[in-house]
This record gives sequence, C-alpha cells and structure tokens, in this order.
Amino acid sequence: MQREAQLLRLLDAVLGSVFSTRVCEDAAAEEHRRQGLVQQLQQAADCARELALAGTTESAMQLVALLEPGEAGEELQPRLEQQAEQLQALAEQELEARMMASAPPASATPGMPWGDFVLEAREHLANIESELLRLENKPDDSESVHALFRSFHTIKGLAAIAGTETAREVAHQTENLLDEVRSGTRAVSSGLIDLALASADFLLEVVSAAEQLDRGEEAEIPEDAGVLLDKLYAAIACPATVESDAPSEEGASVAAVQRSGAPSVRRMTGSAVKVDTAKLDQLVDLVGELVIAQSLVQLDPALVRLGDSKTAKNLNQLGRITTELQKTAMSLRVVPVGQSFQRMARVFRDLVLESGKQATLETAGEDAELDRTIVEQLADPLMHMVRNAVDHGLEKPADREKAGKPATGCIRLSATHQSGHVVIEVSDDGRGLDQDRILRKAIERGLVKEQVQLTEAETLDLIFEPGFSTSEQVTAISGRGVGMDVVKREIEKLRGRVEVRSQPGKGTTFLMRVPLTLAIIDALVVRHANNRFILPLFTVREILKPGGQTINTVEGRNEVALLRDRVVPVIRMEALLGDSVLSIKDGQPRPTEEMVLVVVEAGSRRVALAVDEVVGKQEVVIKSLGYWMGRVRGVAGGAILGDGSVGIILDLDGLMGKEGYGLAA
Amino acid sequence: MEFCVAAGPEDTRERITGMNDIAQAIRQDQHGSGKYLAFWLGKEEFAVPVGRIREIIPWQEITPVPQAAAYVLGVINLRGKVVPVMDLRLRLSMPGQERGVRACIVVMQPDSKKSQSPIGVVVDGVSEVLQIQPSELEDTASLSNGWMQLGYVNQIAKSKGKVKLLLEIDSVLAGPAEEIAKATELELAGAAIG
Repeated sequence: MQREAQLLRLLDAVLGSVFSTRVCEDAAAEEHRRQGLVQQLQQAADCARELALAGTTESAMQLVALLEPGEAGEELQPRLEQQAEQLQALAEQELEARMMASAPPASATPGMPWGDFVLEAREHLANIESELLRLENKPDDSESVHALFRSFHTIKGLAAIAGTETAREVAHQTENLLDEVRSGTRAVSSGLIDLALASADFLLEVVSAAEQLDRGEEAEIPEDAGVLLDKLYAAIACPATVESDAPSEEGASVAAVQRSGAPSVRRMTGSAVKVDTAKLDQLVDLVGELVIAQSLVQLDPALVRLGDSKTAKNLNQLGRITTELQKTAMSLRVVPVGQSFQRMARVFRDLVLESGKQATLETAGEDAELDRTIVEQLADPLMHMVRNAVDHGLEKPADREKAGKPATGCIRLSATHQSGHVVIEVSDDGRGLDQDRILRKAIERGLVKEQVQLTEAETLDLIFEPGFSTSEQVTAISGRGVGMDVVKREIEKLRGRVEVRSQPGKGTTFLMRVPLTLAIIDALVVRHANNRFILPLFTVREILKPGGQTINTVEGRNEVALLRDRVVPVIRMEALLGDSVLSIKDGQPRPTEEMVLVVVEAGSRRVALAVDEVVGKQEVVIKSLGYWMGRVRGVAGGAILGDGSVGIILDLDGLMGKEGYGLAA
Repeated sequence: MEFCVAAGPEDTRERITGMNDIAQAIRQDQHGSGKYLAFWLGKEEFAVPVGRIREIIPWQEITPVPQAAAYVLGVINLRGKVVPVMDLRLRLSMPGQERGVRACIVVMQPDSKKSQSPIGVVVDGVSEVLQIQPSELEDTASLSNGWMQLGYVNQIAKSKGKVKLLLEIDSVLAGPAEEIAKATELELAGAAIG
C-alpha cells in the first residue's frame, strides 16, 4: 500500500506545483519551480512504473504513459494542467483497485502503522485551518481554495489508506464543496467556512485517536460524524451557497472578525525539514558532552603547563566554536510562538460569533521563539485568556457605542523577548476590571477580610485566587468553573509569572512571563555526604550558616531554626532521602549546627534544608532518568555536571508536598 | 575477547557495520539459536542475545539515586544521556562480592521493541560472543523436573564443554516502572475476582 500512497502524494505535489504557478512572478523562482516539477514528475513516473510492474492494472499503465516526461524543454505546464484531473482520477482508481485486491479491507486494525497518517494529516489540518481563516477574509483568494482542496484531498487519500471510512467520506464531501468553489459555481460564505472548519475538527479527532493508537494506547477511531455528514450532503445538494446556521445577529457578522496587522499566517516554506525530536535531544546531549570534554581539555594542567601560545590560541578557538555550537543546538528545540496565536485566531472567531459581540484580533511578535513544550503548554492558558477577554472584557456593541468607543472591540495578542524570558500579552480595549467589585466579591468569598487596605495591584491580583470569578452570569464560554487561578497555576508550572493591569473603561492587559526553555534551569548544587544534589534556584530563598543559637530541638528529635523572628523547620537530607545519604563525622551523624542551611520554598511552605556544603550556582540541562526507573520519590531528574558526572535534581515539592516528609524511609 | 571493551565511536561503527549480523541474530533468537554475549557473575557464566546489547563500557563512578529500588545502583553519564545502572547480582539475589578489575557495564536494551532508553548492567567481566545452536539448549524446567528453584534462568546451553546460563531477559531487564505496572495489574485483576 505504500507505493500507492506515495504515488498519490507525489501526484498531489505535482498538481500543487502546477496550480501554484500564478504566484511565481520572478523568473528565477519560476525556473526553480519548474525544475522541482520535473523532478516530482520523474519520481511519480518511477512510482507508477513500479506499480505497473508489481501488478498490471489498466490505470497504472495509463499513468505511466501520462507521466512520461516529454522532450527536454517541453512546456510541461499546459499539458499537466489539462491532464491534472485525469491523473488524479487514475491514481485514485489505482489505489482502489489495489485495496480491493489486498482484501480484507484495511480496517482500523490494531498494530496498523498510523504514524504516517498522523504526521501528514496533522500538517494538512493545520494548513486547512489557517487557509480557511485566510479565505474568510479574502473570499476571492483562489490560491487558498486550491491549497484547501489539495489538503482535504490528501487527507481523503490518507484516510482511505488507513481504512477509516467516515473520515474519508467527510474529507471527500468537503473536497467536493471546495471543488465547486474552485470551479466558480459556489461562492465562499461564512456557512461554508463553518462547515469546512467542522470537517477539519472531526478529522482532527480521528487523527488524535490514530495518534493514540500509534503510541500503543487504547483508542477508538471515531466513525460517527454526527450531523456533520448530513450537513455536508445538504450543502452539496443545495446549489450556490451554504447557509450559515451560527446563532449570530446580523450586526455581528463574520466581517467583524478581521485580522489586522501584518498577515501572520505564514505559508509553509520549502526550507524546513522535519526531524524526530529524539534525534534533536541526542544532538543536544552530545553537544553538552562536547562542551564538557572541551573544557576538560582546555583546563588540562599538562596543556596549561606547556605554555604554548599557538596551542592556547587553537584551544580558545575550539572553545568559541563549541559555545556557538551549543547555542545553535539549544535553539533547535524552539518554535515561534506564532503557531499558538494562529490557533487562537480560530478560537477567537468562534467566540465572537457565539457571544454576539464584534471584535478584531491583532497579533504581534509571532516570531518570538520559545521551547516547543512551553508553546504547547501555553495553549490552554492562552485560550482561557482570549475567552475571558471576549466574554468578560469586551462590552456589547451597543454598550461600547454608549461609552463613546467604536462598536468593534479589539483584542491584541503579542509576544516580546525580555532578558531570557518571553512576555506574552493578551489585552482588550473593553470595560476594564472593576476594582470595587473585585474587592466586594473577594470579601464575600472570604478571600480577604473586610476593611483590608490593598493597593491597586493587590486588588487586581485577587482574581488569581482559587474560586474567584467576576462574571455575574455563567456563560457557555467562560463559565466552566475554571478561573484565572488555573491560568496562574499553569503558568507557574512553566516557571513563569502572570500579571494583570487594567484601566477602567480603557481595557485590561494580562502579561504572562515565561522562560525561553524548560530544558535548562538555574540551579544550586549542594553536597551532602558523598552525593551532589541539584536544587532549582527559584525555590531557594536564602542560604546561611547557622550560628550558635539558630537551631533548637523539639522533643529531642526535630529541629527548628529561628530566622529573623520566623520559626522554620529544619530538615536534614537523610530525613528526606533515607540513611543512604547520611552525613557522618567521626563515626557519628554530623551535628546540624555544622551544616549549611538552604531555605527553600516547597509544597507551599518554607523549610531549611541542612546540607554539608553549597558547591555553587550553575545552569544545568534537565534530563529524565528514563521510563525504566519508574517514579522515584523526590527525584525530578538528573543533570550532567561540569566534570561529566551526573547530579540528581531534587523534587522538593514531591518530597515535602501533601504527603509530608518523614515517610521517606 | 572478540567484543572489545571500549566506549566511543569505534563501538558505534562496529555496531553499524555489524548491523546485518545482529539483525539476523535477533531474528534467529525466536528459534533459540543465534549469537550471544557471554559474561561472568562470580563463577557462573551467563549469556544474553547480542540483539539486546548496545555496547560495553568500562567501569565508572555511578551516581546513586536515593529511594530507587535496591538493585538500582544509580545513574551514569553515557555520552550526555543519563542512563540507569542496575546490579545484576542483586537482581538475581546472588551473594555480593568485591568488584574485580574486569568488572564493566554492559549497556542493554530493556525491551525488544527498542522503544525504551538503554540501561546499564554491571557484570564481573565479559567473556566472548558465541553462537549457540538450538540443539545445545536445555530447558531448565524439564531438566530439573521442578526441583530447581530458579528466578531468571530458563535455559542452559552446553557450548564447547562448558555451561552457559540463558537469562529470561525480558523479566531480568524489566525495571521498577514495569514491575509497578505489573503489580497494579495483578492487584486490579485480584480486585475484579474478589
């Protein structure tokens, strides 16, 4: 089945090139495109020939004949344009014939290799979404229509190969609709866009299920598309336009959903390659090793003693290259935050339609780059913020006009780099936060005491408290019991911070400050007995050597320290991690007074960890100990230290969280 | 010693050029013949299919992981990757012994699908790579008629007048994570019955 799939794909690529011809104005680009086309054609021909050899079917033979590259210099363009449909039809026919031959039909059997399907379909679905949104703004963009048609078409092929009938049918019917748009017999309407988006959503569900199957998890490929297929059939049966059935008032027309600013939806460029993330990780690992080896060589006493200036110069050069290489390697894991924004554009569109408000979405700074995992984990908080902005931030058009503002509100998403962090802003020009109401509600909920004196910022921060929501009516969109506290928690999980600023009548701005990467942390390396442990620096509050009076015992067993009039429990490492890390002096456990106290914030309390020595502060790359080890209590992972050995990163939250400490042994 | 005890690029190259042999050995494993790596634990000689061997590295300092399972010695840095290391002696409940000069770490693949990251296994020394024919194998179960209480040895090979113990590699290499998963499964099954 692979050859057939490959052939389909190649043909898609060929036809893609053929139809994108009108964009290429520049002669060099045109030449480049033409060469690419010839190459693709060649591959497709080879593929078809192989098929014909494997089992001669009528369609394969015809394909070979059609694909035979003509004389050199022959104008391929007109010929291919003419034959485009014939080619595609033949390829499909071929595929079907093969599938029949290789009965039983490829149903969604377990162990079926879903990997290719998932990878490709996902890419096309992402394309589909952005192209649909683009088409909505520019209904006469024929290039978008072509791109959409091709994407649905490819997914149809993929679904057929994967054997999911409903997905194939959905893609097929959507493709038919788009075909009518392409040929000019149907106009682009918001109803049509809605329907196509709904198809894309359904297909995404299928892909997600397939992805789970691919990972060996339990999942079922959805085969029930609900009313979607009926709608599609109805739309095709009814010529000319697709009626919108969104519950939108006339005023809140789709035209209100515009994207201003520079077009942020970038088309896929040909200069990117797909790389397995495991390979990327390996590269980063190896470069890390290179840096260590490099510094070992550079600081080698034998070499230093040599005192040769040429060697020193060369070593320095090596050092520079290694550092540069490490930077580049680390940058491979980052992706532009723009793809998150792109997803928001879709959410935003639905939200505005649903809420009966009018708004435009502005985006800026899509190029700011962040670690892939952070971008992924930002999606939910970001969506929540956009929801909030549309639902609570913006007023109804009539209210806006009354307040002397344009009826169409504006929501702005932006990202900026700020010293090792990226700040993501979600702002609206709505009514702003009502401080009095926030305070009233906080008192009502018992979050603060009455007569409390709070600064403006402190009052606004109350909205991040668990169980706080200012909306007086629960709506389907944002009243789901999740409040801003969830957003705050999610952001803090990423070691970031969230802030809010607001001006009554002018609008609200949420700022999310997140680190560029999760893979590297600033760490404090401590030594205890023969172990070196790594504590994330952001949990460390202070480090001190206890004086004579600092430490007091409680019932002879436990210890507390009096630090600036605050009683802080003292925990020795062995109490957390067991006797294997016991620090011994002269055959006796070393007295706590001789140790160093590292005061950390963990599990929402402050404790003083007693360790033998603080080694220093350094940046470390966090590495997992692997699935094999299972979950080890109190261990967050490992990191390679400067001398090449491994240090254990402690998970203080896990050690001192809900279960409390002392259960360790 | 055919398998040289060395880490680094030569080893990688050896693996790549020898890929076909090794792949074939893995396929033949299913029929009980193929290539095995033999190594020592005390006075006993064990054999593991070469398909599961990633490389053999010299002894190095191991960072202990507090609170990990008893047979987990800790973790090492294998070319920038953090790799767990286990003590095969403890795993097989064999008596402890001083580490000799030939002790080394055999990096193995814990699952045959190669989806997991490798783990290090400490052995007293590797001896050879050898071919074992199906005819040279004896099942411990049929051999002992049940009186040998064996944990992880399921077959014994007679090779050139010597005995090699074949480990039930999947269960030996199953780590703490796998064991917990299995225990939970059993518990659930038990609960369902009860």
